[in-house]
Amino acid sequence: MVCEREMTYDGRENEVMDLNGPDATNGVAVDASMTDEAFEIEQGQLSIETERRLARRRKFLQRIQQQGLVLVLIIVVCIMWASSPYFMSKYNLLTAGSVVSILGIMAVTETLLVIAAEIDISIGGVMALVSVVLGLLVGKGVNVWLGSLIAMAVAGLVGTINGVITVHFKINSLVTTLGTFSIATGLAYVLSGTTTVQIGGSGFGFLGSGYIATVPSTVYFFVGIWLVGAFIARYTTLGRHIYATGDNVEAADRSGIRPNKIRMGLFIANSLAAGFAGLVVTSELSSSAPQLGDPYLLAVVTAVILGGTSLTGGRGRLSGTLLAVAILGVVQNGFALLEFSSYLQNLVTGCLLILAVLVDQFVRRAER
Amino acid sequence: MSDSTTPLLEARGITKAYGNVTALTGINFKLFGGEIVGLVGDNGAGKSTLVKTLCGAHQPTGGQILIEGEEVTFSSPKESRERGIEVVYQDLALANELSVAENIFLGREMKRAGFLGRIGTMDRKAMYASAIETLESLAIEIKSVEARCGMMSGGQRQAVAVARAIMWGSKVLLLDEPTAALAVAESDKIAGLVAGVKDKGVGVILVSHNLPQVHELCDRVVVLLRGRVVTELHRGEYSIDDMVSWITGAALHKK
Repeated sequence: MVCEREMTYDGRENEVMDLNGPDATNGVAVDASMTDEAFEIEQGQLSIETERRLARRRKFLQRIQQQGLVLVLIIVVCIMWASSPYFMSKYNLLTAGSVVSILGIMAVTETLLVIAAEIDISIGGVMALVSVVLGLLVGKGVNVWLGSLIAMAVAGLVGTINGVITVHFKINSLVTTLGTFSIATGLAYVLSGTTTVQIGGSGFGFLGSGYIATVPSTVYFFVGIWLVGAFIARYTTLGRHIYATGDNVEAADRSGIRPNKIRMGLFIANSLAAGFAGLVVTSELSSSAPQLGDPYLLAVVTAVILGGTSLTGGRGRLSGTLLAVAILGVVQNGFALLEFSSYLQNLVTGCLLILAVLVDQFVRRAER
Repeated sequence: MSDSTTPLLEARGITKAYGNVTALTGINFKLFGGEIVGLVGDNGAGKSTLVKTLCGAHQPTGGQILIEGEEVTFSSPKESRERGIEVVYQDLALANELSVAENIFLGREMKRAGFLGRIGTMDRKAMYASAIETLESLAIEIKSVEARCGMMSGGQRQAVAVARAIMWGSKVLLLDEPTAALAVAESDKIAGLVAGVKDKGVGVILVSHNLPQVHELCDRVVVLLRGRVVTELHRGEYSIDDMVSWITGAALHKK
């Protein structure tokens, strides 16, 4: 109680701070490198001018992040349009939509999961496992739809395992799902023995290669799942709780939300989405294959991050994911049309990804 | 200070031991509605332990806790919250990415009527209106309830946390060092807010090292020393120096 009151002078403005008791030593004193805005925020006395300036800057950067995606989409569309006469044909656009919808289905649930500050990289493995399980069952004479149901249950099981290990044993989800990815992929190869099984009949082909009014079935699946996801994220209490979970688990927990339940549910939903995507691809190929999930993992995570969802959780929008999926679709399709190597495509995707993360970083720093 | 004879919160002979170490010994303590009771003491005097015991984060080894005359046992802070005891921690549990209104309603969102509500659709307009009303009734100045909490100052965030507790009908507010990390102007605003809360009939326990503030705000001050209540000081009957001498134990020797 010797230093019950202590006076410090911050040396920046003619203002004296009064630090009380024990906290004086903890250095509430103002950091000289602080910007004027940061200084004022610290003081809790934002001048109206500064407040306006901050708000304006924030809005501007957010607009860049959202509308930047629109701009990128327009640019890639224009480039492809100029490069290939086939690009803008209805047939080609529908094909492109069909291809990209498969990753889009998974990107929706992955976005929600990343908003909750978790990540799931086991999706490629789940797709493969689902496909192979279905192949095995069909090979044994099981009805293809019953087989699909069982395969989906397997996907749900993987999601449950991801959730239990991450949530209850408090293991980083990147590590958990890297493990389950390996296990699921390994299991898929072991079970299938690298052979493929023909799957078809009972209208199963519709999943991956059906059409309604000339639009591929996969597009409907993606749009449907996206609408549900966007509705939940934006309008429902569940959506708020997902954001709160990713933002501040402690706050979420104290508010009576059960963040563990939410994360658990999201892991299962994400695995089910991956399982469904596995069924769709199996249907499209008319055969099961243990390697069919390979190209999707990176693409899905890229779509989520490119869409502006922050890996630190609490921030992201499904509209961004939709735009990112569209961009990836155009790039994939365009490169195929131009007969560029798929490696070049990886290169472009990688650049976009890093750019997206940099923009996200900028936005957050400006908000400080 | 109180208009009723039953205390909102009462501690009877609360003892808390960790193995052989006794942190609290026979604490008797009453809190009535509409009063602010300060809890002061040197580091290690048992303030935090007492607060944690009262809100259910720790369980007492002996003694009783009564709420409005009824004996209760809390196995977690969640249970105490259900009985109207809310702790506002120094580093408050707000979600930075969510707006003020969304934070106030977190976990207790208003839903729309009919089918949309049943599938979990929120009634944003009603939530915003209700949040504005609460903030105004506590004279908390915040630009907009739609503003993100992450953009606000420590004092504003603290105010939002208090508003949330009040909004949800808390009868007892435990404030653990509410102003320690705040600048002076902010700290004064929180003091004003606490006084406003008192006028609503809520009982407030204020744990603070800021003795001038305790002296100014509190109707009674309970001084802890080495796990015991050494004295209770009443408004207008003591000086800050008296308080210091009780906190350090010097007053015991003078006698």
